Amino acid sequence: MPSLRTRFASLRSRPQHRELGAAIGLTLLAATGLIAPATIGGALAQTPERIVVAGGVITEVLYALGLEGKIVGVDTTSQFPAEALRDKPSIGYVRALSAEGVLSLKPSLVIAVEGAGPPDAVSLLNEAGLKLARISEDNSPEGVVTKIEAIGAVAGAAEPAKRLAQQTKARFDELATLRTALPAKKKVLFVLSLQNGRVLVGGRNSSADSIIAMAGGVNVAAAVEGYKPMTDEAILAAAPDVVLMMRNSGGHNATPEELFAMPAFAQTPAAAGKSLVRMDALYLLGFGPRTPAAARDLMAELYPDAKIPPLKTAAATAQ
Amino acid sequence: MTLAARPAGAMTATALASFAASRRRQAVIAVAGLTLLCLLLTIVAIGQGAFAIAPGRVAEILGTRLFGDAAELQGRDALVVLNIRLPRVLLGLLVGAALAVSGALMQGLFRNPLADPGLVGVSAGAGLAAAATIVLGDRLLAGMAMKLPFAALPFGAFCGGLISTLTLYLIATRQGRTSVATMLLAGVALGALAGALTGLLAFLSDDRQLRDLTFWSMGSLGGASWTKLFVIAPIVLPLLLAVPLLARGLNGLMLGEAEAYHLGIPVQRIKALAIVLVAISVGASVAAAGVIGFVGIVVPHLIRLAIGPDHRLLLPLSALGGATLLVAADIVARMIVAPAELPIGIVTAALGAPFFLWLLLRRASTLDG
Amino acid sequence: MADLTPIATGRNLRFLAGGRALVADASLDLLPGTTTILIGPNGAGKSTLLKLMTGELKPAGGEVLLDGASLHAIPAWRLACQRAVMAQHARLAFPFTVYEVARLGVDGVGRALPRQRREAVVGECLAAAGVIELASRNYQTLSGGEQQRVQFARVLCQLEAGQSVSARQALFLDEPIASLDLCHQLALLDMARTIAARGVAVLVVLHDINLALTYADKLVVMDRGQIVAQGEPSATLDDALLQNVFKVDLSLSRAPAAGLPFLLPQQHRPSAA
Repeated sequence: MPSLRTRFASLRSRPQHRELGAAIGLTLLAATGLIAPATIGGALAQTPERIVVAGGVITEVLYALGLEGKIVGVDTTSQFPAEALRDKPSIGYVRALSAEGVLSLKPSLVIAVEGAGPPDAVSLLNEAGLKLARISEDNSPEGVVTKIEAIGAVAGAAEPAKRLAQQTKARFDELATLRTALPAKKKVLFVLSLQNGRVLVGGRNSSADSIIAMAGGVNVAAAVEGYKPMTDEAILAAAPDVVLMMRNSGGHNATPEELFAMPAFAQTPAAAGKSLVRMDALYLLGFGPRTPAAARDLMAELYPDAKIPPLKTAAATAQ
Repeated sequence: MTLAARPAGAMTATALASFAASRRRQAVIAVAGLTLLCLLLTIVAIGQGAFAIAPGRVAEILGTRLFGDAAELQGRDALVVLNIRLPRVLLGLLVGAALAVSGALMQGLFRNPLADPGLVGVSAGAGLAAAATIVLGDRLLAGMAMKLPFAALPFGAFCGGLISTLTLYLIATRQGRTSVATMLLAGVALGALAGALTGLLAFLSDDRQLRDLTFWSMGSLGGASWTKLFVIAPIVLPLLLAVPLLARGLNGLMLGEAEAYHLGIPVQRIKALAIVLVAISVGASVAAAGVIGFVGIVVPHLIRLAIGPDHRLLLPLSALGGATLLVAADIVARMIVAPAELPIGIVTAALGAPFFLWLLLRRASTLDG
Repeated sequence: MADLTPIATGRNLRFLAGGRALVADASLDLLPGTTTILIGPNGAGKSTLLKLMTGELKPAGGEVLLDGASLHAIPAWRLACQRAVMAQHARLAFPFTVYEVARLGVDGVGRALPRQRREAVVGECLAAAGVIELASRNYQTLSGGEQQRVQFARVLCQLEAGQSVSARQALFLDEPIASLDLCHQLALLDMARTIAARGVAVLVVLHDINLALTYADKLVVMDRGQIVAQGEPSATLDDALLQNVFKVDLSLSRAPAAGLPFLLPQQHRPSAA
């Protein structure tokens, strides 16, 4: 029956089914990436009583500033600290917010990353007369520092935020010093997933690319843009010294033996040294106050012989 | 009447009359029942939401808006009722009706119970255009230091759907006659091509754009606004108004195109009208609410199982049923994970599919001989 | 019957498909009150000629006149009041009831009639086609023969409803008895003759030469796209034609060998007509 085949063919050809898996795999990384100019609401003298957050990094900073008591709702990218999504109502994915849902929390302030949406919902929130602050997303050290200050300013905690920002900046500076002392730079390949033997790597302009640079490594997948599949031969040719992966809390983690048995990796320098580094995804790719420490830890893993010291500048407060 | 060579027994004639009367009664009950259900759900949808407002206050807000001094309406509860829920519910009714009627029309036109509006290429074209807008839009405009306007995605999707349907129609029409079979086959090819290009765009996209694409393809009434409603309504309403015009023709087409022609039905005009109306109204629906699957295929089937395949009842009841299903699904989508919300496509499938399967199991014998 | 000008006329009809002439230079008059039966071997072009006469196919040459007007100049709704057509196969995609299928005949054509009248017409025609007891059944669950009779009822509905618009009508039946048992074959053809008796021009494509001879007022024989003979049945068909056209070495009106039972529908005719 041709019509039946047609029907299934049309189902198959719909993009959402094919891309859904990949999209879900990328959820954790979705809050980071695009670079846009900052639009920051005016600084407040007092902390608003009811804050709704759309953007994981904002939640992380507010918790770091000890303002978690004022948060009445967070989006699903607010994965750190873990209690944020456990304790606070979820307003859904940062790019698919519900205007009425946000309003129902009766917020006195909404802090959202630049990419929060959809545009219709954001315009409805504006129409409702909500105070809405947008925070730009920038994964550079300067960007992270500016971000912390901006979040503090709109949340009525400008002073503590400035302190946290200065601390973070000092730690980034210390990290830069550590970087200059490194021996020959290691070539790093960030592997996002190994679904069905298809290797998804973090290329140029990906969040993984930023953290690798901060940790003093060279991203060997810089030839591709964003998170893309890479062919076995290209991986072989790239010859990474270290493979970097995320540590899944619950799911299956490929052992170094499994990974380096794959034809793509078997002949790489990384396989020879069994160099597989696993780090917590939120820690590694959060681009908040913890990022200098995350970059330091990655650096220590990349250069075990260099005896990288812990950062001396005091860690962020209220952790 | 000299016709009756065999005299119809008095009993049989009475039986026939009562059969016709019972069918009519059934239709009246179905129309009345579904209208009532639709009204009820509309009221629930306006009254309920993540933002708690007492029913009395909702009524007061609506009353003031309609009969009183609208300037008195201040506060967030008025905004939630008037500018969030009301346009959202109305958009749901409109999109639901359009999708279900389009599904019924396509099934009638293609004489195939599995046909859906996607067969005329609207979904494929709209999907491709939406993907292009999401993935390439910002990139193309980046050099001009401007942001993509809000309307770019719906407008792009609408145009994409229309262009692909028009292409299919031109391919399938020879000497003023549209071959439904050619259209079906060309639709498969065009769908595959659009799918490939959409896949290419998904490959080029960054993770955020990919998420946008995914969410868009699962549909949502979240972006409803009066502006959107006023743009969509004039595009979709002609389809709903044309229903009585198309119903008789589609009934005739059930016998085949030649038989329909012999019955005096302007076959080519019906085909062209149905395809064009479906293309623009589904294009507009997709533009306003993303891809919402299942309504177009399940609602007409439910109605057919309940009252039979006569299009004069099937089409208006499908409109009512589609509107009802979508508003019901939207209530669930808004409430179940509040203050967040589910994509509505997930809910329509989750609500519709089990019910549909149950009906199929119960009445499997009536579907084919 | 006063007016004996033809209701439908085909003039020098030609139809080509794949470079082959399926119908070549066929001319045919369908007179009111006359049952014309079209016979011929497989592939002779009988159905094609019928489709040309109904307007379903457009001739490559020649023209079809309906009541003096060119067929393709008549608007579709008007045409539907002037002639009804029953095709060989009619499958339905959805579970319509028998009643609904028959009603299709009056839905468009009988738009001007009051509802009671339309319902009465459907009832009468279902009874006339002998399927009134099937009225509430799902068409898809009927046997092929039953389906054919329901289609016949639908065609009767259309003629009956169209009568209010045009008194001069034509009825086209393309192998209407292919799946019927003998009893229903005879009943249907009786019905066709009854309709002809009301002044309708009837054209039937048949395979069965016996039945054709029994029911035809006028017999038309086709072979390889051409009309090779037409006229009064007894004057039209002879042994030579049987041999040349149908490739059978048989003689008309010769009883089979003694002791061999045989059945002739001709015995039925006097009682029915």
